[in-house]
Amino acid sequence: MTDRVLSDAYPEGGFWHLEAYLKSGGYEAARKALSGMKPEAVVDEVKRASLRGRGGAGFPAGVKWSFVPRTTDKPVYVCVNADEGEPGTAKDRAILTHNPHAVLEGLLIIAFAVGAHDAYIYIRGEYEALARRLEGAIGEAEKKGFLGARVLGLDFRLDVAVHRGAGAYICGEETALLESIEGRRGEPRLKPPFPALVGLFQAPTVINNVETVACVPLIIRHGADWFVKQGLPRDGGTRVFTVSGAVVRPGLYELPLGTTLRELIFVHAGGLRPGRTLKAVIPGGLSAPLLRADEVDLPLDFDSLAKSGSMLGSAAVIVLDDTASMLTVLNVIARFYAHESCGQCTPCRLGTAWIRKAVTRLVEGLGEARDLDEIVRVAEAIKGRTLCPLGDAAALPTIALVTKFRGELEAALHG
Amino acid sequence: MSLTLSAGAMASVEAAERRYPRPQAALLPILQIIQTELGYIPVEAEIWAAERLGLPPVRVREVMSFYTLLRRRKPGRHIVQVCRNLSCTLNGAEDLLSRLAEKWGVRPGETSADGRFSLLTVECLGNCPEAPCLQVDDADYGKVTAQALDEILTGLD
Amino acid sequence: MVEILIDGRTLCVAEGTTVLGAARLAGIDIPHFCYHPAFPPEGSCRMCLVEIEGQPKLELACSTVVRAGLKILTASPQVVSARRDVLELFLAEHPLDCPICDKAGECLLQDYYEAHGRFSGRFREAREKREKLVRIGRRLLLDRERCVLCTRCVRFLAAYTGTEELGVVERGVRTEIGTFEDRPVDNSYSGNLVDLCPVGAITAIDFRFRTRTWFLERKPSLCPKCGRGCNIFVDIVCGYPLPPGGRRLFRIRPRENPDVNGYWICDIGRYAYLAELTENRRTQAALVRYGEETPLSMTEALGRMAAALKAADREGRPERVAVVLNSSLTNEELARAREFFVGRLGVKKLAFADPLLDRADGRLLTAERCANARGAAGAGFAAADLDLKAWADGTDCVLLFGSHLLDHQRLEEIQGVLAKVKFKALFAAQRTPLDGSVDIIVPVSLAAEKEGHLTNVDGRVQPFKPVWPAAGDSLAEGAVFDRLREELG
Repeated sequence: MTDRVLSDAYPEGGFWHLEAYLKSGGYEAARKALSGMKPEAVVDEVKRASLRGRGGAGFPAGVKWSFVPRTTDKPVYVCVNADEGEPGTAKDRAILTHNPHAVLEGLLIIAFAVGAHDAYIYIRGEYEALARRLEGAIGEAEKKGFLGARVLGLDFRLDVAVHRGAGAYICGEETALLESIEGRRGEPRLKPPFPALVGLFQAPTVINNVETVACVPLIIRHGADWFVKQGLPRDGGTRVFTVSGAVVRPGLYELPLGTTLRELIFVHAGGLRPGRTLKAVIPGGLSAPLLRADEVDLPLDFDSLAKSGSMLGSAAVIVLDDTASMLTVLNVIARFYAHESCGQCTPCRLGTAWIRKAVTRLVEGLGEARDLDEIVRVAEAIKGRTLCPLGDAAALPTIALVTKFRGELEAALHG
Repeated sequence: MSLTLSAGAMASVEAAERRYPRPQAALLPILQIIQTELGYIPVEAEIWAAERLGLPPVRVREVMSFYTLLRRRKPGRHIVQVCRNLSCTLNGAEDLLSRLAEKWGVRPGETSADGRFSLLTVECLGNCPEAPCLQVDDADYGKVTAQALDEILTGLD
Repeated sequence: MVEILIDGRTLCVAEGTTVLGAARLAGIDIPHFCYHPAFPPEGSCRMCLVEIEGQPKLELACSTVVRAGLKILTASPQVVSARRDVLELFLAEHPLDCPICDKAGECLLQDYYEAHGRFSGRFREAREKREKLVRIGRRLLLDRERCVLCTRCVRFLAAYTGTEELGVVERGVRTEIGTFEDRPVDNSYSGNLVDLCPVGAITAIDFRFRTRTWFLERKPSLCPKCGRGCNIFVDIVCGYPLPPGGRRLFRIRPRENPDVNGYWICDIGRYAYLAELTENRRTQAALVRYGEETPLSMTEALGRMAAALKAADREGRPERVAVVLNSSLTNEELARAREFFVGRLGVKKLAFADPLLDRADGRLLTAERCANARGAAGAGFAAADLDLKAWADGTDCVLLFGSHLLDHQRLEEIQGVLAKVKFKALFAAQRTPLDGSVDIIVPVSLAAEKEGHLTNVDGRVQPFKPVWPAAGDSLAEGAVFDRLREELG
């Protein structure tokens, strides 16, 4: 194990093997937690570390775990969310490819902290080869006693199973993920009750993103203070940023929270191609409202981005230069959410479909300026009214795009 | 309803059933095992899975029709998935689709005339820095140019 | 008890009440499609969003449970706007079928548009094209364009009947209700789906295009087909205009009663009883000679009957009279039967012929398939095996109320026995196989045309009144006993 979730891990190539992982201190944090700490102490340490969920919602992980009842006659489950469906995001793929044992070790520590003995890693169906690698890593861990009936020789059992998704972005939403594991359609559940009380198979359940889980061994090994110092007081640690779009060096960059967007794009990702100018940046995956070129001077952390009217989300940064057509971007957004809407609740089911039809008409050159007003109106009708966050994920980026690039969109309407 | 699966597939089915405290939770894994074996999931398999897990068949149909990776019809020998989401569209995904339509005569949702491959578009393969992205069966390809596309497709049996 | 504020009014409600339930107690109807009191909240239609002080977003009334001090606004500008938006989205995808839709007049979408909409449609995109005539069951049609995906139907078949024939298939805007392949909805509570559906998506084939709901008046009654005594509404056309053919009775629907049938009725009551009420009715008395029927007036028919009874009575020979009653009679009728036949005439050969016991279905349908077995027991009539041959021995006069003797004896046997009896009369509401074996047939009313009390399987005594006049000349059995009694003095 290293000091980073990803960056130091994979240059060696074979790091995903247990042997290599152990050589750099792998599973030491787990040993420290399971043989030397109380579960409550683990939760407190992670709370102090300000580890926020790295799947998109940014909910403090330690706080989430503290909602799991200490005594319950039901089994407790942990699920790792490896659905990685947020467009623009490729970090969990890399973590699972190059550092799967960090995820397993983190999972082990979490299970210990909340009293779980069965865990499922929900991995999107498209990551078929990755799922096999993950199963291989689990097999290695079981063979050497890091998972299974007596973990680390202690009286603690943890069985981990990989559960593959089958092509539904909505299954990245935690309750839809639970529905999918249970063998049903990925339709999000009404909350409350929250999964910490009523989750998988109606039992208390913790669901955390791959990257969140991979941070946990670092926190236990180096301490909460260290983790916070890697980032910000209310947003500890590093984030693995996915940068794609119109940059010279698209890729994954693990950087401290608080790094500026400008530094990420222009220093690490090599900036724009020669002769191009920056038009807009989507800072946190397709569900994050985009920022105009004049709005990108801000630090990358949950609170700063929330203040700017956008969100850090999955830390997937998509860069748009002057060659990008905003109508095309709008089309991708409209098509994506209409395709991925589960269909359960009215505003999302009908609203996203309507927006897609309207945008299709615009793309075909049959639109008018007032259609843009209508699109915003329907997006406002969806906003805040849906059963799950996919509604807002569809509505907010749409409203931001049409509002901020109204001029270009109007001009593009007629050829 | 009877269904003939290989011994290996049946062993996987049984292993899947052991992984969950409730039978229905094995549904998705079982459907995927059947699809890996047969290439798709025929109606008989839906009934077989339903009976095996003690579910009304419509519950299986609900799941079949929800998840885009589950297929009810036999596809070509290979599945080619082209991502059309933002990073890939910004980096030439539409050109790849045009190439597939014009040179290879296959549009999304169709199977090549010689049955070698079926083409699907997908919404984000999770490989965005490598845009434009393709997945052929379980292999990922990134930064795919028109020539690379041709090579990949030519290499399919 | 919990004290809350709803639209500025203080209200005290039981713990566990939802905002929707509390509002209803305050006389406020918060619109909703997917919620139904029989099932846990679903939360998918998003029509019932309300404003709760202190909450940043609107909350669902159907699933939010009240807490002390909760301040709820059911008609604030935010709520009104949300309702309109959700309604507008529903209507944008809904076909303009009202002129031909059977649900018109009792459709929640129409009602909510009246109450919360009244706007012109602003959407310019085309609706999804969906199938409009899907036969999902022997008696049911599904129109997928009209469906609002409230999923009440799916949940009913999972939670109540456990038959799970319907499911939610596809995804996104292409989501629809469907069966597995062609396997139909096939259970004995299927008719409830038509009532459950808030719009005209699931409709009854037997009601299709027959009438308009605003011509119908719903009259409360009881279903007599088993011992449950389900409370029902009988929907009939009252007054002008009458549909062609003069048909007046169109529907039987459940009448909610938490102590008896809850929200439902079974298909026997809904369809079989309806058929009984409308088809094959006897409306005139008849004289039967050599297999031919001649119409008789009731006075004549009852007169002949009274004459036969008088003869036995005058001679002091009550053993020459045999009476077969049935347990569909009301408590009052049973009391009068006892008074007249046992008290006044001293008849000893008195038995009951009811439909055979059948399987109770674990829900509403009881093993006893008559309306008032408890009433009969309560009136002091003991259940006794009917030995037809011994019974007919030395009998001059047999009065058969109902034809359920056929459930217990073969037609040939009955015919053989009756052939030896001088005078036999049948009291029936419909044509039966026994018609040719008697001398006089007198038409009687069915439950919907009577009044009185029935005692259900739990001992609950339920009153009911007639919903429409008796068919033709038919009389309630009680009235027959009274007339005969008058004649005999």
